[in-house]
Amino acid sequence: MLSTTTTTTDHDSQPLAVIDRSLRHPVMLFLTAGAAWLALAILLGVIASAKVHDPGFLSRHGWLAYGRIFPAHLNALVYGWGMQAGYALILWLSARLCRKECKATGTILTAGLVWNLGVALGVMGILSGNGTGMPWMEFPGFVWPVLIAGYLSIVIWPFIQFRVRPAGPVVITQWYILGAMIWFPWIYITANVLLHCLPGHPVMASAINAWYMSALVFLFFTPVALGTAYDLVTNATGRPVPGKALANMGFWSLAIIAPWAGMQKLAGMPVPYFLPYLGAAAAVLLFIPICAAACNIIRPLWAGRATLAAEPSVRFTAAGMISLVVLGVAMMVLNIPDSTLQLTQFSLSGYGFDTLAIYGFFSMVMFGAAYSIVPRVTGRAWHSPKLIEMHFLFSVYGLLTVMLVTLVGGVVQGMGQEDWKLPWSGVAAIANPFAVAITFAWCLILFSNIFFFVHLAVMWLRWGFGGLPATEQETPGKTVMHDGEDHTEDAAAGHEPLVDPT
Amino acid sequence: MSLRTFILALASSFGAAWLSIIVIPFFKMRALAPIPLTQATDGASGIFFPKRTGRVADGARVYAENGCYLCHTQVVRPTYAGHDLYRPDWGGLKDDADRGDTRRETNAYDFYGEKFAQLGVTRTGPDLTNIGRRVETIYAVGGDPAAWLYAHLFNPRSLPQLWQSTCPPHKFLFEKREIKGNPSADALKVPAGKTREWVPDADAQALVSYLLSLKKDQKVPAALNFTPKSTEGNP
Amino acid sequence: MSSPNNSPDLEESSGATVAEGAAAHGNGGGRPESNENEAVPLWVLAACGVALLIAGRILDLGGGGGLLDYQKMFRTRYERTPPPGSAEQGPPPKEALAAYMAKGAKIYGAKCIVCHGPEAKGDGANFPALAGSKWATGETERFSMIILNGLKGPMSTGKSYGAGMPSQAIPSLSPEDFSGVMTYVRNHFGNNTGDVVTVEMAKAAMTLSAARANAGLQVTGDELTADHLKPLPGKTLDPKAMVDPVTLAPVYVAAPPATSPPAAAEPKATPKP
Repeated sequence: MLSTTTTTTDHDSQPLAVIDRSLRHPVMLFLTAGAAWLALAILLGVIASAKVHDPGFLSRHGWLAYGRIFPAHLNALVYGWGMQAGYALILWLSARLCRKECKATGTILTAGLVWNLGVALGVMGILSGNGTGMPWMEFPGFVWPVLIAGYLSIVIWPFIQFRVRPAGPVVITQWYILGAMIWFPWIYITANVLLHCLPGHPVMASAINAWYMSALVFLFFTPVALGTAYDLVTNATGRPVPGKALANMGFWSLAIIAPWAGMQKLAGMPVPYFLPYLGAAAAVLLFIPICAAACNIIRPLWAGRATLAAEPSVRFTAAGMISLVVLGVAMMVLNIPDSTLQLTQFSLSGYGFDTLAIYGFFSMVMFGAAYSIVPRVTGRAWHSPKLIEMHFLFSVYGLLTVMLVTLVGGVVQGMGQEDWKLPWSGVAAIANPFAVAITFAWCLILFSNIFFFVHLAVMWLRWGFGGLPATEQETPGKTVMHDGEDHTEDAAAGHEPLVDPT
Repeated sequence: MSLRTFILALASSFGAAWLSIIVIPFFKMRALAPIPLTQATDGASGIFFPKRTGRVADGARVYAENGCYLCHTQVVRPTYAGHDLYRPDWGGLKDDADRGDTRRETNAYDFYGEKFAQLGVTRTGPDLTNIGRRVETIYAVGGDPAAWLYAHLFNPRSLPQLWQSTCPPHKFLFEKREIKGNPSADALKVPAGKTREWVPDADAQALVSYLLSLKKDQKVPAALNFTPKSTEGNP
Repeated sequence: MSSPNNSPDLEESSGATVAEGAAAHGNGGGRPESNENEAVPLWVLAACGVALLIAGRILDLGGGGGLLDYQKMFRTRYERTPPPGSAEQGPPPKEALAAYMAKGAKIYGAKCIVCHGPEAKGDGANFPALAGSKWATGETERFSMIILNGLKGPMSTGKSYGAGMPSQAIPSLSPEDFSGVMTYVRNHFGNNTGDVVTVEMAKAAMTLSAARANAGLQVTGDELTADHLKPLPGKTLDPKAMVDPVTLAPVYVAAPPATSPPAAAEPKATPKP
């Protein structure tokens, strides 16, 4: 082992033990609350998807109607799970990479509770029939100021941490996190002010909404997940990021290209003619930053697969990156105006893109990070590798189904829609098997996440294996497992436990 | 790279797009000038203003709250962007008895009265740009268009030609109540017991009024008329 | 356990920052390269090149006429392209008699039915019957003058109907509608002249009506007998010819018409494919 001391030469930075201890409550709040919302979101997703091919299912009550359950599912997924997982990682990575403990825990926890309250009110608002009808912004109009206030209170501290970071090189992860923190409020406030507060042209409002959906995915979820993935790679392999120039190029190409994407959803609609084409071109070009990041992340993992393949964090991250590549290729191929765009514009492919981006890429990387982080903050090790394995496998099966539907089903459905001689009942019949496939995929994902929730609950409630503090067993980037090995040497080496064993 | 440089670079890269595709078009479209009509080219004077009769704002609210936009679109794309215009009854009617072929593309003036154009997310169900026209001239010909729509909303599969429809039943937009005196004119032809009837509630009425107002096949000014010049006056 | 040099202790690092620092300090032996200049594989560059090409083509399509043109909502010089594989334009052609009668039925239902009744039997006392009427089924010019100008005084039956019929040219009556309603009355309600009053004939009638000595006044039976006892000028139309149901214009096939048998005086018209 390297030096056993826990001090560093820079007196402004702090031992990781202190940092991790300070992060415990905020990170666990966001991860567990997020996981709860994920559970609800997936359940709603299964119900919504079932209604597409079986409309009589649970159709007695208004609050279970498809038109309300589906937006509730998406908004819970995005704001309940996605944003909160993002917060957990932003706080974690920011504190550790800037070597500064999290001092604003009180503010952050309050803001976190306010966020959850806002999302809860929003979801209830949708289910009670007060949704706004704007995709991904269906929360009633009073919710967004609450959410943005919560957001700003949460990220102000990581921003300060960056400003007072110790001197030294800044790693790519920090740039991604910083970017995400700046992009989100800009995007969110723009969309909500222009759509809720200022009177505008109805079709342009729809265009801005389409831009918002794309920008949220590519300028918040993507940078947070890429930053997390980069961090995992450096920890797992013990080396710095290979190809720094490539990493920088990946970041800046994302920063330059992604703000233009999104309006390809409005091809053929009465907006200024060039807008959808710029959006489509940007969507195609997003392949470049995706490719650059994937190269930098997958290659070292692949090179080290002999030792790393068994690590759950690594497997989840790798699966997430592969989903990202598939998303990039799909967007490149299926967004071409005058050929594929008119087929996929109103088909299941759109939902497939969303699911690939939020679950396939972002969530899988977040799971990988969670399996690495939670032991460190709770001081407990994961209960069973089997549960993690099930979580991983069934998620992958679900994602493969979604990929199939996106790439094949959406195009076939689109071809049916464009066949003007086919009466609509025939067109609708084409979509049916793919709708069933989507329900099946969400069932698999629900099944897989049951293992995750059970596991997380066991960790949180400290059931069963209280056992050894996490640090004594682990190596960085590696998920902490109860593996029955003898770690007395480590204990004797005098490592500080990260958490109070009581 | 310092934090300041980073923020400047981020702000300019994002800001360029933000200005070009969000802020500027938002303010320009807000001030979209109506197209003037001239006697010479359009046979009328004034401005092009596609009128919509019915409870547009209320109905649009119910439409949005119940997620109809998730499965239905309200846009007829030009021929370079899709085949919507080729369907005989989407952009208008191919065989309108009075005016012949009335099909046309959606234009920027078609969503007057709505805050957010419900252009739609997917086309699980058919496009609704001209649903009002279709219901009146095709589905409910000889009957009451509103009654047809109420029956459809209550239980889409009850209509024989839609027995495979995946449109969800919206029973919650209706109420079962005691018959007061005579049965209500809007009562559905659905058995409700000896003394009760199913009637649409306020939301259902607004929604049906909105749907019946969706007739976007008016004559357009010359600037929006994209019929090919060469086929006029054939042979 | 991996070698200490390859897995820095958790408490010392979070990966990159310390590793880079360690490299700078020349830490230990066997430390791997930082791989900063690792080359990008060729296939990655090729894939990115493909993305650039596709995006370029998209911008081409979108930039026709200038990118960032906020006024243009549709493609420059856009004209609707017909559906591939079909030459259909507009509603399918109909037989002339049926097309004219369809139009006429609507006009009858709008204008005439209020007085003459749904069976065109009138009501005996106030409104004459058109079913079986000699003036309706006789010469077309006489019939047209009645509709355009109204009628006062005794009918062919000798009966008078008070103030008479008002002109039906008000507020407006297009030649298509006019010819349609005449054809309809002459071939419906039990009448069966079997001929079509064409748009051309209707236009001629309107000219004749305006040129009357008593233009603006109702016609009388005497004037009709004196001046208008003839068919309207204009080429007759085969009731089975195909016409456009909206404009009532004959629809011709591209090839020249086949030589017609001597009995038929009008050109044969066949439907477009």
